[in-house]
Amino acid sequence: MPAKPMDLLQGTLDVLILRTLAAEPMHGYAVSRWIRERTGGTLAIEDAPLYKALHRLERAGCVEAEWGLSENNRRARYYRLTVRGRRRLKDEESAWRRYAAAVFKVLEPV
Amino acid sequence: MRRLFRHVRRSASDIRSELDEEMRFHIDARTEELIAGGSLPKEARAQAEREFGDMEDAREYIARMDRATEHARRRRWFMEEFTQDIVYAMRRLRASKLFAITTIVTLALGIGANTAIFSMVRGVLLRPLPFPEPEELYRVWSHNTNVGNPHVPVSSPDVEDWRAQRQKIADVGGYRFADGASGLDLTGSGDPERLSIVFVTTGFFGTLGMPPLLGRLPRDDELVRGGADHVVVLTHGFWQRRFGGSPDVVGTALTLNGEPYEVLGVMPPELRYPTDRADAFVPYSSIPDESIPHIRPVRILAAIARAGDGMTEEAVLAELNTIAGRLAQQYPENESYTRVTIEPLQRSITGSVRVGLLVLLGAVAFVLVLACVNIASLMLARATTRGREIATRVALGAGRARIVRQLLTESVVLSLIGGAAGVGLAYLIVNGLLGLSGDWLPRGAEVRLDAVVLLFATALSITTGLLFGMVPALRSTSANLQSTLREGGRGLAGTEGRRLRNGLVVVEVALALMLVAAAGLMTRSFVTLLRVDPGFQPERLLATVFTINTTRHPNPQYASLYARLLENVRAIPGVVSAGAVKDAPFRGEGERWGFRTPQMVLAVGQDEPSAMIMHVSDGYFRTIGARIIEGREFDATDRRDAPFVVVVNEALARQYFPGQPAAGESLVIDGENVPIIGVVGDIRQTAMEEPGRPTIYINNVQNTRVKVTMVTRTQGNPLTMAGPVQEAIRALDPDQTITSIFTYEDIVSEAVSQPRLLTVLLVSFGVLGLILGALGIYGVLAFTVSQHQREIGMRMALGAHPRAVQRMFVARGLGLAGVGIAIGLAAALALGRFLSGMLFGIEASDPLTFAAVTVILLAVAFLASWLPSRRAASVDPIMALRSD
Repeated sequence: MPAKPMDLLQGTLDVLILRTLAAEPMHGYAVSRWIRERTGGTLAIEDAPLYKALHRLERAGCVEAEWGLSENNRRARYYRLTVRGRRRLKDEESAWRRYAAAVFKVLEPV
Repeated sequence: MRRLFRHVRRSASDIRSELDEEMRFHIDARTEELIAGGSLPKEARAQAEREFGDMEDAREYIARMDRATEHARRRRWFMEEFTQDIVYAMRRLRASKLFAITTIVTLALGIGANTAIFSMVRGVLLRPLPFPEPEELYRVWSHNTNVGNPHVPVSSPDVEDWRAQRQKIADVGGYRFADGASGLDLTGSGDPERLSIVFVTTGFFGTLGMPPLLGRLPRDDELVRGGADHVVVLTHGFWQRRFGGSPDVVGTALTLNGEPYEVLGVMPPELRYPTDRADAFVPYSSIPDESIPHIRPVRILAAIARAGDGMTEEAVLAELNTIAGRLAQQYPENESYTRVTIEPLQRSITGSVRVGLLVLLGAVAFVLVLACVNIASLMLARATTRGREIATRVALGAGRARIVRQLLTESVVLSLIGGAAGVGLAYLIVNGLLGLSGDWLPRGAEVRLDAVVLLFATALSITTGLLFGMVPALRSTSANLQSTLREGGRGLAGTEGRRLRNGLVVVEVALALMLVAAAGLMTRSFVTLLRVDPGFQPERLLATVFTINTTRHPNPQYASLYARLLENVRAIPGVVSAGAVKDAPFRGEGERWGFRTPQMVLAVGQDEPSAMIMHVSDGYFRTIGARIIEGREFDATDRRDAPFVVVVNEALARQYFPGQPAAGESLVIDGENVPIIGVVGDIRQTAMEEPGRPTIYINNVQNTRVKVTMVTRTQGNPLTMAGPVQEAIRALDPDQTITSIFTYEDIVSEAVSQPRLLTVLLVSFGVLGLILGALGIYGVLAFTVSQHQREIGMRMALGAHPRAVQRMFVARGLGLAGVGIAIGLAAALALGRFLSGMLFGIEASDPLTFAAVTVILLAVAFLASWLPSRRAASVDPIMALRSD
């Protein structure tokens, strides 16, 4: 029995999505799958907030959306990182690393 | 990469359906994956939906987010396209410099003239008076219901009674100001000076409601007889001029007519009511009864009232009428004054110029419309040659709206540049006009190019751009695409395009005719006015106005001082003759007295007739060059102790002694029989436009008046005698102040300054209209010629004489002009009544003017058609057939 999935920290989802899209443009379902696989189910991410975040990022100009064809030839909405999105990812990533390092420093045995 | 043609726009329902599709795709994909992993289809879908979470909430949120995204995107696109359009427009304008310059100059003239006139209308008519709640203020007159004169000045007891008996009216006050006549001598510190004074009653300051800049306003008990009424409030201008704006002056005393007056305060510079020329406000109560008796028959005050909260004009009038009616029953002197007349204060100030300014505003708007039509037809012609470019853009996928917007951007860019130049021009025009208008324009000092005027100019520019750009833009984009491309881009050269251009020419000619007609009427009226014989010869006449102090010179010394003054001035070398009058023409109206002829029998309750009264010296009529028709004028024998005699003018003699000599007859004045010793030709006194009214001239030494206008006929330039005349006056009384000095030529020139200004402006607009109209005809015909080269060539090749071709084009131009002239004449006759109030000596339908205007327009139309027709006649058939 795996451990109960953890709730997502506020604001984490945006950076996860940006990181996911950094590799290549993909549709919402692929983003969802990719995050699920990378975290191995540690994080409890519902799809509704994920899509809300994707459209919010589009509004903020961090991603651009365009309709394309999926692997099995269905119309899917593809998201691509914009220049602004890439810059935002960089900023958030370093902020996260500093944050995590600080938390670890406290948690490490003295 | 930049999107080439059209952006995809998403509607709210597009957003919904895309959103649904995106979610459906997600659920389907997840379900398929779970099935592939071994789940049952039904369970797989249920799990996919569970994993998704609150779908409804997400849908609402996302739809809202996407609408915002779409909004922002559209705004961005718009700005991008807008920038593109501007850049494109600038590039196109640079490419066709001649067109751009013509258009911009036309617009600068049109918008500049409109902005200038508007700034005057705003400053004079629209800007509220600088008082709190200015719409509550009214001018009030007594209404003599017996003789039917609704605008009689008010007596001071009446003003006091109105104020005491008012109910809802907030306040009532009166004042006396007569330019050059109401004044006091300031002596003591510095040079003696004649101050121009507004004498005010209680309630004057309360009605206006303007707080002083410094110090305080007089209390009610300082404005009444027996009170401490020797107080003075300074105007800002006088305070600056005389005291350099020093606040220390408040509390000090000024010596006015030899008595000390305490300076209570200084008014702010905005206070220009009732005049710009006042130096100070002094209680009316301080005028002694020997000068002006404070009794009901002496009606010389202007009255103002402030309505109470929420009171309508009718309510103010009703309340004052009630009081006036009561006073009329109470006092026999008021028997005829049962009512009052009121008018909003702002309108009463601007009354005389209101019509003039509005006519100018109308005319100048015509000029701008004409300019718009002109540019529209110019652009239409250009759009025709641009047909191929537009058709290509449409073919490549540009939407019609997009192209219309782009064409409109081009015209608005043009009009904004023109507008900017126009504002500069307006600045020059306004300064010029204010200089030219003399004293004619009340509130002239408040005319300036402020934010509102600039806003007006901007709005006008944009509207103008849209106006002249709209028709060509819509027309050129609706032209049939394929045929345009096939015809080699001739597009609008077809029948429909021609009809439109012809229509525009007709409109232009009609507008031009109306402008020229207005100019013609005004010019003819002005010329008629200049030909008016004022009854005197104004050349080389110097006037020196002063007021004799009767405290220092009481009668009988006054009479001998007066006689010696004349003697001294006449003795100056270079003075041909000299005489004196109380009020120079157009600088005062004298007085009005009742009189009757000995034969006249008055019915009970019937008032005596009245006549203008003017006090003159011996030799005055000879000096100013008036005609003595019968008898003689006053001479040295008509002394103070000699029998009282009068001179009357021709108007009085004709009216009361028709068909018989008036000299030798007599008038009954104040119950006394007074012989008429002479009849003098009518002298225009109130206005150049107004024929002399029945007037009685009285010898100033027999019935003295303190105000004296010394008039001297000089050998050379009259102003060079100003110094010697002053010295001659001061030689008899060193403390004598001088109120003003001017020449009779000045007053004649000022008397026609309003019609002169209107004439200059309307003629400018008329010329502008004529030029624009001519350009319109020329442009359309020249364009037609250039578009029909081949047809003309064909005709000539088939044997048409060049002269016949030329005649055809001239006929076409004149035909269009003829239609325009007919429409313009009808419209001008209909609109003429707005002008009729400003015309002198001619009707607004003056046939001679209209005939001349028609001839002028036909001549201009002929010229404008003949020039391009010559080009048609010189077409070389071979070249024309080979080209294109």
